[in-house]
Amino acid sequence: MSTSEIALMAHLMRRAGFTATRDELETYVAGGYEARVEQLLNPGDPEVIPDDIIRRVHFSLDEGPDGAAAQWMYRMITTKNPLEEKITLFWHSLFATAYSKTNNSRSILNQIEMFRRFSLGSFRDLLVELSKDPAMIFWLDNNDNHNGKVNENYGRELLELFALGIGTYTENDVKDAARAFTGWTLGNVDYMAVKANKDSFSPYGRIAWHFEYRPDDHDDGEKTFMGETGRFNGEDIVDIIARQPAAARFVSTRLFQFFAADQVDEQGEKVIEQMIQSYFDSGYEIRSVLRTLFNSDFFKSEAARFARVKAPVELVIGVIRQAGSYREPNLGIEGVSSFSYYMGQGIMRPPSVEGWHEGEEWIESGALLERVNFVAQELGNTSLPGIKRIIERVGAENGGTLSPIEFVERCLDVMGPIEVEDETKEVLVSHVARRGDIDLRDESVHDESTKRAGELLSLIGSTREFQMA
Amino acid sequence: MSTQTTTARENLNYTQTIGMIAAGGRYQAGRGFLGPYSIATSSDGRIFVVNRGASRVCICDLEENFIGAFADGPGSGDGQLNQPTDSAFDSRDRLYITDEALHRITIFDSQGTFLGKWGEKGDAPGQINGPSGIAFDSEDNAYIVDQHNHRIQKFTSEGELITHWGGMGDGPGQFNMPWGVTVDSQDNVWVADWRNDRIQKFTKDGEFVSSFGESGEGDGQFNRPAGVAVDSEGYIYVGDWGNERVQLFTPEGKYLDKSRGQATLTKWTEQFMDSNPDERDTRAIANMYPTLPDHLNDPYRASSQTEPYFWEPVAVHIDAGDRLYVTESRRHRFQIFERA
Amino acid sequence: MGSGNGQNGGAKDRNLVVLQLGGGNDYLNTIVPYENGLYYDNRPTIAHDPDKILKINDEIGFRPDLEPIKRLWDEGKVAIIHGIGYPEPNRSHFRSMDIWHTAMPEEIGTEGWLGRVIRDIDPTAENVLTGVNFGRGLPRSMGLKGVPVASVGNLETYGLFPEMEDEYLRKFAIDSFAKMYGGKGKDAVMDFLGQTGASALKGADLLGTATGKYKSSIEYGDNPIGNDLKNAATVMFAGLGTRIFHTSYGSFDTHSGEVFKHDLLWQDTARAVGDFWDDIAEHGMDDDTVIFMFSEFGRRIKDNGSGTDHGSGGVAFLIGNSVKGGMYGEYPSLEEKDQIEGDLAYNNDFRMTYSSILEQWLEIEAAPIVNGRFEQFDLIKS
Repeated sequence: MSTSEIALMAHLMRRAGFTATRDELETYVAGGYEARVEQLLNPGDPEVIPDDIIRRVHFSLDEGPDGAAAQWMYRMITTKNPLEEKITLFWHSLFATAYSKTNNSRSILNQIEMFRRFSLGSFRDLLVELSKDPAMIFWLDNNDNHNGKVNENYGRELLELFALGIGTYTENDVKDAARAFTGWTLGNVDYMAVKANKDSFSPYGRIAWHFEYRPDDHDDGEKTFMGETGRFNGEDIVDIIARQPAAARFVSTRLFQFFAADQVDEQGEKVIEQMIQSYFDSGYEIRSVLRTLFNSDFFKSEAARFARVKAPVELVIGVIRQAGSYREPNLGIEGVSSFSYYMGQGIMRPPSVEGWHEGEEWIESGALLERVNFVAQELGNTSLPGIKRIIERVGAENGGTLSPIEFVERCLDVMGPIEVEDETKEVLVSHVARRGDIDLRDESVHDESTKRAGELLSLIGSTREFQMA
Repeated sequence: MSTQTTTARENLNYTQTIGMIAAGGRYQAGRGFLGPYSIATSSDGRIFVVNRGASRVCICDLEENFIGAFADGPGSGDGQLNQPTDSAFDSRDRLYITDEALHRITIFDSQGTFLGKWGEKGDAPGQINGPSGIAFDSEDNAYIVDQHNHRIQKFTSEGELITHWGGMGDGPGQFNMPWGVTVDSQDNVWVADWRNDRIQKFTKDGEFVSSFGESGEGDGQFNRPAGVAVDSEGYIYVGDWGNERVQLFTPEGKYLDKSRGQATLTKWTEQFMDSNPDERDTRAIANMYPTLPDHLNDPYRASSQTEPYFWEPVAVHIDAGDRLYVTESRRHRFQIFERA
Repeated sequence: MGSGNGQNGGAKDRNLVVLQLGGGNDYLNTIVPYENGLYYDNRPTIAHDPDKILKINDEIGFRPDLEPIKRLWDEGKVAIIHGIGYPEPNRSHFRSMDIWHTAMPEEIGTEGWLGRVIRDIDPTAENVLTGVNFGRGLPRSMGLKGVPVASVGNLETYGLFPEMEDEYLRKFAIDSFAKMYGGKGKDAVMDFLGQTGASALKGADLLGTATGKYKSSIEYGDNPIGNDLKNAATVMFAGLGTRIFHTSYGSFDTHSGEVFKHDLLWQDTARAVGDFWDDIAEHGMDDDTVIFMFSEFGRRIKDNGSGTDHGSGGVAFLIGNSVKGGMYGEYPSLEEKDQIEGDLAYNNDFRMTYSSILEQWLEIEAAPIVNGRFEQFDLIKS
C-alpha cells in the first residue's frame, strides 16, 4: 500500500473519527477508501465497555456534568464506530444544551443518546426528536411557551441557530413557529422547573425528564410559516423547514465546517452545493450528505488536510486512542473530561446556545499549555500499549539503528502520518541529534532508547502541526 | 363461617423509607446519606449505613433518629474508607467493611471506633482484588466475595484464610464478577453471581449445593443481581440490580413476588419540604409514577425518572426481626419491606 | 474600548484581587442579625450563638471564625455590601456564576468582565501576565478572545512539561518548543499558534522566577485557598506587572451539615484573607491593592433541618487600605412580606459595585465593561 493511500486514510480517520493507529489504517486501506467510508456511515456493534461494568466501578458517574462527560468519553475511546460518536458530538455542539441551566445530567445524556440514534438519518426526523427533547425544551424555555402566552425562544433558535440561519426567515415566521410548539413541554413541568432552577437534588437525588404534549395548551389556530398556511403543529413546522433550500445549505455548511475545513472557500462552496443536492436526493439523509463530502475530491485533496484546529475533545480522545489508555474502567476517567474542560471544551457545558466557537478560538495561551502538557504526558508514557506499539513499528524496519533524521521521519510516519514544516522538522531532528543515533533493537540500550522514543513522541505531540487535524 | 387457615406469608409488603440526600461540598456532615451502599444492623437495633458518595458510615434507627456518623473519608489511613462496598456485623457487634479500592477489610466497634484492618491486593490465596460482599456464619467466620478473582474466600475474623473456592466461568461453583453474599441460619452460603445472572448456594465449606436464575426481565429472571439475603424461615430475597427491583423466592428458589419500590417521604425530607414550600407544592401536583416513552422505559432510565422506584438497589439486608432493607445508592435512602 | 481618561491603563499601579466563594455562601450566617428573633425562628438548627458573634453594631455582626476580617473591619479597611444581587434571581450555580462573570443577567454573555478589564488596561497584551488566575482552567470572568491569561494551578510546577522529572531534559524540550513556535508559520493559523505558544512560554518563564524571589514571614494555612492566595502574593511581589488576580474557593454549597462545614470553610477563608493581607502589608503593597470577595447567591432564610438550600440576595466585601470601610446597601429584611419566595431580596445590583471598583479604583470606564451605566457606591478613598 502506498504512502499516499495511508495519508489519505489517516486524514479520513482524523476527520470522521478521532484518528486511528497505524495498524488500523493499514487494515482500512486494504479494504479501500470508499468501503471504509461506507463502514463508517453504517455503524454496527460499537463493542464499547458495557454499561453495567461502568456502573459497577463508578458510583453515579452520570450524576454530574463531569462524570456524564466522562461516561460519553468511555464510548468515544473504545467504540469501533468513531463516526457515530463524532457526528453525535457534532449535533451536541450544534444543538448546544448546557448543564448550567438544566442541572440534570441524566436528561442531557438522554439527549445525546437521542442524537446518536438519529444522527445519520433524516434531518427532519432529528429535528422532530430535538423539539420533543425535554432537556432542549427546558433549556430554551419551551415549557413557558403557552397558548395565548407565547415564548419565542425555541422557535427562534430553531430557525436561527439550528436549521435555517439568519436572513432566511421573517419575524412572523418565528412567531408562528413558536405558536406551533405551544403545548410541547415536560412531564411534571412545574416540579421539574422548580428543581432545575434551584439546582435541587433533594430529597432523593435528581429526577430525569420526559416529553409531554399538552393539547389543551396548544395554539391550534392558523399559522403562516415560510409562505405556507395551515393549522400547523410542531411536526408540520419541521416538515416545512426540512424542505427549504436554506435548511439544506445550513446543515451542509455546518457539516462541512465540522468535518472538512474551518473556513469555506470557493472550492468548498462547490462541495457544499453537491452536499445540498444529496440532501434532497436522499430525502434529507445526513448519511448521504456525509458520503458526498467524504468522497469529494476536495475532501480527499492535500489542501484539505490539517486544515482544522482540533477541538479539545478531538485532541484528548485522539491521543488516548493512539496511546491505548482508558480501555477499561478506570477511576481516573473523570480527570480526562476535566482536561478537556480546562482546554476550553467541557462536554455538556457549552458557553451558550451558540455552542463553542471553533477553529482559532480554541487557541489561547492557557488552553495551549493544557493541550501540550496533556498530549506530551500521554504520548510520553511508554508503558501504554499504544505507545509500545508505535515504538515497535518505528524500530521494525531498519535492523535497529536509526539516524536522527530517520528516527524523526519514522515517528512522524507511524504516528500519522503527520506532516510538519521543514523548520519544525529541523528542530525535531536537532533535538534528537543531541544524543546521536538511536538503536531500538539492541536489548542492552532498550530502556534508554525507549525513553528517547517517548520523548520524541511527546515533542511531536507538542508541535503546532499536531494541533491541527 | 370459615376459620382462616394459616397460609405462608408470600408477598413483599412495603412498610417505610428512611433517608435523604446529604450533599454539598467537600465535607459530608449532618443527617442524610450520599450513595449508601450497604446496611448492617447491630444487636441493639441500630442501623449502620455505609456510604460511598463521600465515604462515611451513618447510624440511625427505625424511628428515623440520626444518631451519628464516623469514618469520614475518603482516605486510606486507618479507619478511613475509599470505595466501601459491603458491611456485616459479627456476633460480637463488630462491624466489618469491605473496600474495593483499598482491597481491605476495616473493622470498627459499634460506637465507630477503629479496631483494625486486614487484606492486601493480589490473586494468591488469601489476597483479594476488589472485595465486594461480606457475611459471617455462626462461627464468626467471614466470607468475602473476591470480585476480580471471581471467587469466595473464607477467613477467620482476624483475616486468616480458611478456604476458598471459585474461578472465572459459568459452571457450577464458578463465578463472574460476583457481588453480594449472605449466610443463612443453616450456615449455607449464598452468592449473588452478578455477571452470570444467578444465585448460587454452597455449604460453609464451599461445596456447591444448587443455583437458580437466568438472564432476563421476567419473574424469576435476573439482570445482574447484586445482593441476596435469607430470612429466618429460609425465604430468599434477591436485589435484582439491573432490573431495578427486588424479588422474593421460596426456600426452594421458586419465584413468589417482586417489587420495584414505592418510597415515600421521611421525617428528614418533611423538614426539607417545610423550608422549601415551592418544591413541596409543585411536588404535590406532580405525577410521581409517570408514563414513559419507549426509549426511556428500560429499568435504569425508568428509575431515574420515577422517584419512588428503586434506583440501583445495591444491597439487601435482613435484620433480626426479619425486616428487609433495600439500599438504593442513587436515591440516598433505603426502603423497608416485610414478608406478608 | 479604551479608558475614560484618554490614556491606556488607568491607574497604573493598582491591583485588584477577586476572590470568588463558589457554591453560594450563606449570607445570614456570615453577617448575622443576632438581635433579630426571626433569625432564630427561621434557623432552629443552624443559628449561631449570639454570644459568639463578633459585633459590628447592635444588630448585626460577623460569624465566629471571621476574626481576621473583623480586625480589618475595625481598622476601617472593609466595605460590606449588603443585599447584593441582580434582578430575577437565578439559583443555579453555573448560571448564576455566568451572570457575575459576564455582567449580563438577562442574556447569556460571552465576554468576561475581567477579560475586558485586562484588555482595557493592556490593549496590546504587552504583558502576557497582566491578568493571572490561580486555579486551573480559564474562569469565564477572564475569558476574552485575544486576552492572554495564565491559569496557575500549581505555581511551582507551572509551565511546559511539568511531568518531565529530569530537569535537564525538560529544559531541552522547552528549548525545542520555543524554536518550533518561534518562526512564522505557513499560514495565519500557524502564525497565531506560534504567537500564542510564544506568549504562553514567556508567561511561564516569568512566573517561574516568582517563587525564587518570594520572602515573607507569613505562614499561610495549608489548604487550597491558603495556597492560592500565597501564590497570588508570590506573583504580586515578583514585580511581573500583574494587576488582576483571580481565585476561587468552595464549595460553600451547604445543603446539609452546614454548622460543621461553614465553620471549616470560613476558618480556612478568613485566615487566608488575613494572612494574604498581612503579607501584602509586609511588602508595602497595601495602599495599591484591594480584594473583592463575592459569592454567586445567598441561601434560603429558613433552614432545612441540616443546612440551607439555594436562595438569593448575598453579601460582598471589598478590602483594602484605600477602601472606605463601612456598610453599603441595606441589610435585607427577614420579614415575610419582604421576602422573594422565601428568600432575601436584593437591594443593589452587583454591577453598581463593579462600576465603583472600575472607575474609582482602576480608573477605567465602567459602562463598556458592565454593559450599561450604574449608580456607584463611594467605595474608594480619594
